[in-house]
Amino acid sequence: MGLPKLAPAQAAHDKLKALGILALNGMFDEMDALSVLRYAVSDVLPGDLAIVSSFGADSAVLLHMVAQVDPSMPVYFLETGKHFAETLDYVETLKKQLGLINVHAIHPSSDDVKRFDPNGDLWETDPDSCCHIRKTEPLEPVTEQYGGWVTGRKRYQTSERGVLPHFELTSDDRIKVNPLAYFSDADVVEYRQKHSLPEHPLYAKGYKSIGCAPCTSIVAEGEDPRAGRWRGLNKKECGIHYDFSGAIANPMTAAARHTLWKDGAFIADPFKEWVEGTAPSEARYTHVPLREFLANRADYLASQHPLGLMISPGEKIEDVVEDLSRFASIAIKFPAFSDGRGYSTARLLVERFKYAGEIRAVGDVLQDQIPHMRRCGFNALVVTHEPSRQALIENRLPEMALFYQPVGVTEVPLGTRPFLRRVS
Amino acid sequence: MYRYDEFDAAFVAGRTAQFADQVKRRLSGELSEDQFRPLRLMNGLYLQLHAYMLRVAVPYGTLSSRQMRKLAHIARVYDRGYGHFTTRQNIQYNWPKLKDIPVILDELASVEMHAIQTSGNCIRNVTTDQFAGAAADEIIDPRPVAEILRQWSSLHPEFSYLPRKFKIAITGAPQDRAAIRFHDIGLQAAVNGAGEIGWEVWVGGGLGRTPMIAKLINSFVPNEHLLAYLESIMRVYNRYGRRDNKYKARIKILVHEEGLETIKGQVEAEFAEVRGGVLTLPSEEVDRISAYFAPPDFAQQSLTKLDVAYESIIDPAYGRWLDNNINAHSQPGYASVTVSLKPVGGAPGDATDTQMEVVADLAETYSHDELRVTHEQNLVLPHVALADLRTVYDALVAAQLADGNTNTIADMICCPGLDFCALANARSIPIAQEISRKFAEPARQQEIGELKIKISGCINACGHHHVGHIGILGVEKKGGELYQITLGGDATEHASVGKIIGPGFEAENVPDAIEKLVDFYIAQRQGTDETFIQAYRRLGEAPFKEALYGTA
Ligand code: HEM
Ligand code: SF4
Ligand code: SF4
Repeated sequence: MGLPKLAPAQAAHDKLKALGILALNGMFDEMDALSVLRYAVSDVLPGDLAIVSSFGADSAVLLHMVAQVDPSMPVYFLETGKHFAETLDYVETLKKQLGLINVHAIHPSSDDVKRFDPNGDLWETDPDSCCHIRKTEPLEPVTEQYGGWVTGRKRYQTSERGVLPHFELTSDDRIKVNPLAYFSDADVVEYRQKHSLPEHPLYAKGYKSIGCAPCTSIVAEGEDPRAGRWRGLNKKECGIHYDFSGAIANPMTAAARHTLWKDGAFIADPFKEWVEGTAPSEARYTHVPLREFLANRADYLASQHPLGLMISPGEKIEDVVEDLSRFASIAIKFPAFSDGRGYSTARLLVERFKYAGEIRAVGDVLQDQIPHMRRCGFNALVVTHEPSRQALIENRLPEMALFYQPVGVTEVPLGTRPFLRRVS
Repeated sequence: MYRYDEFDAAFVAGRTAQFADQVKRRLSGELSEDQFRPLRLMNGLYLQLHAYMLRVAVPYGTLSSRQMRKLAHIARVYDRGYGHFTTRQNIQYNWPKLKDIPVILDELASVEMHAIQTSGNCIRNVTTDQFAGAAADEIIDPRPVAEILRQWSSLHPEFSYLPRKFKIAITGAPQDRAAIRFHDIGLQAAVNGAGEIGWEVWVGGGLGRTPMIAKLINSFVPNEHLLAYLESIMRVYNRYGRRDNKYKARIKILVHEEGLETIKGQVEAEFAEVRGGVLTLPSEEVDRISAYFAPPDFAQQSLTKLDVAYESIIDPAYGRWLDNNINAHSQPGYASVTVSLKPVGGAPGDATDTQMEVVADLAETYSHDELRVTHEQNLVLPHVALADLRTVYDALVAAQLADGNTNTIADMICCPGLDFCALANARSIPIAQEISRKFAEPARQQEIGELKIKISGCINACGHHHVGHIGILGVEKKGGELYQITLGGDATEHASVGKIIGPGFEAENVPDAIEKLVDFYIAQRQGTDETFIQAYRRLGEAPFKEALYGTA
């Protein structure tokens, strides 16, 4: 019954196929994970379905279902070489206990590791590239063999996943099956208890989402479970959850996904977005909004963590002049490029208040304004607008090399060359 | 006049290349119209009803014959054979093609001209008295300072994204021909107790939907601190000017809402910080720039007085021209000539390519190669020997540029209105044309004397209607056009904003309405010396209203 096994990429069929997927998504009750999986195995992609598992904190639930439906379904584990020893133990435990008979470890190419990560610290300098060589690249030849994949993704997990369906069509014409799409944290716990599934050894220690050792940290109570991953590094999704179709950049250009431009390159940003409600004592590597800082000034000054400050248009930098040295970075917000208040703020910071730390422009930062920003004292930019990013990378900003008027502290020493002029 | 040095030339060339790249990116679709808009605006490129409109800066309204010829050439090659001189002392082209813009800018750059900052929310082209450096009543030639302001404000990194556009006008004469009290900042030359020359600084004037007369924020700022003072005003405005509503974003609203004293306090506090810093103007620099504006080599003239009465008998048209279009010069034996762009039935401010070339030739031969654009949309030959006036006049007659109607009822200011402007509510050029036909008779114009009519096609007031002795404002009423009439405006040192005196008129009834007002004035005036505006001030609004609408 139902859908035939689908032929590989044929444009003419895409629409039909998309419609089929839509229909599939309507066939199952939200919580009917097992039926979704069974149907996928028996009718949609018989013999053509596999699963990649991280053997993380909540992998057991899905693997248990797989074992029930088809214990011989291929299960791939990305042995990145960076896992906790506890995770490797856990792989063995689950294999045995659930009776999975087709588990394979996928290893990164040793050439790639030697070439791109000779010191084993790529995860720190460029986690996107690290994931790329340790996960995406090794996985690619494997994924090509299958018409579809089972994933353990759940829609509640991060904000980006709010609309996850049971069945998805990827751009390279594969089908992703997400049996747990509608599961909540509590559903997972309940299922695990009901079936007495073994817990990941680190779970009890506070690890809620477990990946490679260096990139996983403990998640605080109430925090997004995945907040522990890549903490401090503006990175949420591991490459393997993207489309398999090459949406993941290769190692040499992976750095392009960093949005912080500083000293001539896009680099990993140690700062992350400030979250409303963060306790002053807990805030670290985040730009605290000026009003928040002023409201809890004593607490912030008492904290030892590295801090930044966020100034929005309409706020007065004069209100924090006493405390400027407290901040490693000051972010000046441009809600729209046409709102020029930030330029005055930057000049005051540099020229009048002699602030010497990082001054970054955030918000609507576009190539045509960047030269002005630099002249006013900005030394870091958060840029997401793609053409502007390219212009920065290729060093072709629409820049004027000649200036009439002196601004900044360095541009025109008093009494030099015909007044007010400078060649950069 | 000012000559670009290598630096200026390289600056304009760089900017032209930059904008050429931006145009390319727009044509390729890399830039959206939203992202392109502020960039093109900063380069003087508007999107209008029919096409793009390019506005070219004429810094402080001064041109050489070579530059004027280039403007003529651009009109001929890239437009439809004419250009439009505006109240901003600029020239606008109404029909250029986007793809030609970079070439046009290159052409302009070859004669030291550009369109930088003629629009956008930045500091616009500085305007001044059209008789600067020539007028008999002048304290100081304002152009050197205007040039310094041009340099200081060009692509200012801090002040390129202001809440709204920003206009500065400067005059060196006590008689204000530059409407400085209706600019965001107005500068008027002043002499202090020690006999030094500095500047009165006026702030917060403007027209538009909320006309305001500027307020005096500082009665004497010495030359050397002028830039620091202006930068202080700009910073206060950039930081605190309203950005939530574009109709309340001009500095006039900030000054109005916060009060002059508050703003003055903020400006002075800022000035205290920046005064004496890098913006201090060395007097050598002022001297260096002033040298460019040194008076031309005037010759000793034997003819130093005109007998206008005599000329009027011989040739009444020439007599009228001498009467109205000649301004007293500081140099004996010379005069400044206003070339009227207000022919009967024409569009005020328009000049054809050939007319521009005639005027360029005259400037080269008879006016020390200098030309001016006036904010009242005429051209000026600033330095003409009295002995050459007749020759100049005859050449102008041949080019149909010799209307002797300056400062008369025919010398109207008029915005482009619905014929060109995307924002217009009503046509304005046809109204001006009809009025000029009604009052076409020179003797009639002469009888009426000085009377300034100013017409805008919508509340933005590009045609300065608020400051017309008689102002005409086009509004939209139930799908049709209606014209409101205001009385009593004045752009000079006796600044006032005109008042609406009653219901609006249909387009075809406007000339008659003007005639009623004019007839009433003539009947009531105390001799021909009392001008319309003087009579209005003496009599008040009520009798004029009655004359126009009848008794209630
Ligand atoms: C044809 C297209 C034009 C457009 C779209 C346009 C648009 C505008 C707008 C929106 C304003 C109001 C600004 C404000 O109050 O913030 C304004 C003011 C003004 N425009 Fe234009 N304009 C045009 C043509 C002209 C022309 C041809 C002239 C000169 C003859 C001119 C001279 C002025 C002047 C002097 C003001 C100033 C008033 C003030 O101080 O508020 N404009 N224009
Ligand atoms: S999770 Fe961390 S260590 Fe593992 S591959 Fe990605 S960056 Fe490297
Ligand atoms: S006054 Fe109005 S109609 Fe006239 S040019 Fe300005 S915006 Fe256009």
